[in-house]
Amino acid sequence: MSESAAVVWTLVQKELRDASRSRWLAGFALTFTLLALGLSLTGSASDAQGGFSRTTAGLVNLCLLLVPLLCLVLGSSAVVGERERGTLATMLAQPVSPLELLIGKYVGLTLAVWAAVGLGFGVAGLAIALLHPITGIVQYLLFGLLSAGLTMTMLAVGLLLSVVSDARMKALALGMVTWFVLVLFYDLAAIALALTFSTSGQALLLAVLANPVEGVRILAVIELQPDLRILGPMGAYLVNELGVPTTRTILLAQLAAWTVLPLVAAWRLFEQQDYA
Amino acid sequence: MVMPLVARSVGKRYRTGAALDDVTFELASGEVLALVGPNGAGKSTLIKCVLGLIQHSGTVEIGGVAVERHGKAARKLVGYLPQNPAFHPDLTVRETALFYADLRRVPHERARAGVEAIGLGEHAEKEVAALSGGMRQRLALALALMAEPPLLVLDEPGAGLDISARLELRRLVQDERERGTAVLLSTHWLEDVPYIADRVLTLREGRVTSLGPASEADLIAHATSRLFLRLNGRSADAVALLERHFPESPVARSGDWLVVTCAASRKARVVEAVVEAGISIADIRVEEGTPDATQPEAAAATS
Repeated sequence: MSESAAVVWTLVQKELRDASRSRWLAGFALTFTLLALGLSLTGSASDAQGGFSRTTAGLVNLCLLLVPLLCLVLGSSAVVGERERGTLATMLAQPVSPLELLIGKYVGLTLAVWAAVGLGFGVAGLAIALLHPITGIVQYLLFGLLSAGLTMTMLAVGLLLSVVSDARMKALALGMVTWFVLVLFYDLAAIALALTFSTSGQALLLAVLANPVEGVRILAVIELQPDLRILGPMGAYLVNELGVPTTRTILLAQLAAWTVLPLVAAWRLFEQQDYA
Repeated sequence: MVMPLVARSVGKRYRTGAALDDVTFELASGEVLALVGPNGAGKSTLIKCVLGLIQHSGTVEIGGVAVERHGKAARKLVGYLPQNPAFHPDLTVRETALFYADLRRVPHERARAGVEAIGLGEHAEKEVAALSGGMRQRLALALALMAEPPLLVLDEPGAGLDISARLELRRLVQDERERGTAVLLSTHWLEDVPYIADRVLTLREGRVTSLGPASEADLIAHATSRLFLRLNGRSADAVALLERHFPESPVARSGDWLVVTCAASRKARVVEAVVEAGISIADIRVEEGTPDATQPEAAAATS
């Protein structure tokens, strides 16, 4: 293992150890698992043909609501929390570069959230498999992958908020505002803005690209059931104008960009900062 | 031969003004350089610049490696003891030692031995949060020494240590010097400086006011201490004794305590005199580096 990889791996292990002791993450894992299990059982009771497809549809809303919340909370306190404790300077006084520290934190948090979300998917999947003939499992797994992607994106955004904040409470507040805007407020605001300033398709496209959560929602609906009513105005426009394959490519690229750009910005800003 | 540490025109500006301005010095192998100066003089800021923990102007080279461009490679050559060591509170002493050993790529065996050597072996499974300030300081020292670096940077290493631990620290610095390690230490224990350091760099308002052999530094003579003595009775006798033997050192009362303001180098003599007179001392407390109003230069150098 190269020296940098060994340092990053040490930091990843430290994050995983912290995560295993985190009440936040344990609470999330438990809540998510119970809700996912509830969805799978409810689906079974209401629809004999439901199985994975029905549960996946239910999980979309749950994931889009909870995963960004958890990631923004964990990500936004990752760096600034160390800074407040004074441990950031202790770690960076070692042969550790700022980039290695950021990567170690990011990868560690990503694995921890994947584990928590994976637990929910796993338990719900097991329940469905026991109660139903196995159909729609591909969509279920695809949505699991999309949730993994959403985790990476929202943690990257959270980490950027953490780097630019000088206090943990400020970072958490920024994280909560970001969650509120992206998850709860955005749909209405984006449509209103797009319709107020421009009714062109370009405005709708920009409105989608500006919100990775919306992108993941449209991707999930496309994979599950490309129904224009469920896709919403932005999704419907994309599918109608560009077709499913192009829409899928654009949205996956959007997810990648929303992951890489905040990470690069966090790294460049972090490098310029004082650590003590 | 490559110098373990070379600082050239190092400066640091905050919005409020310059914290360091044009600081230049070199440190050779087996040499101990003491940084002294009043609070806010820039000692800790200079140390943070040396480690690359803060952005600064000028250049710092550790073992010929530029900290500004190759911080990670440079820090591999440094062991650092911070003024207030901060560790992850929920990790145990053992976990902390192994975490930093992994970051430095030091074998776990050596990390464990380091923890034992500083007397924390029996506390290895204790969480860092449960350690006293002195124990945390010792843990930080063990971590600083773990990789046997050619340069040791100690920021106020005496802070939080009792007298015996301070003497131990003196010995440790001597041992490191004999091993050829270069040591940069900031301290306000000025009476230690002639015993511990080869040269003294005095900072004031971020500027170097003197840099020279420790033996020639006159700030030691001006350093004052406030010695707090709680006696088991016979306070009046003690006051009379001290006024007779140490007329230059004012004695005051503060509750149960007698407060003697004396030259830092004389405080052991004061205690000795009280004990020799058969007066029993229940407790002692020392405040070092009290500014001496009659010695503005010394006051500046000792606070």
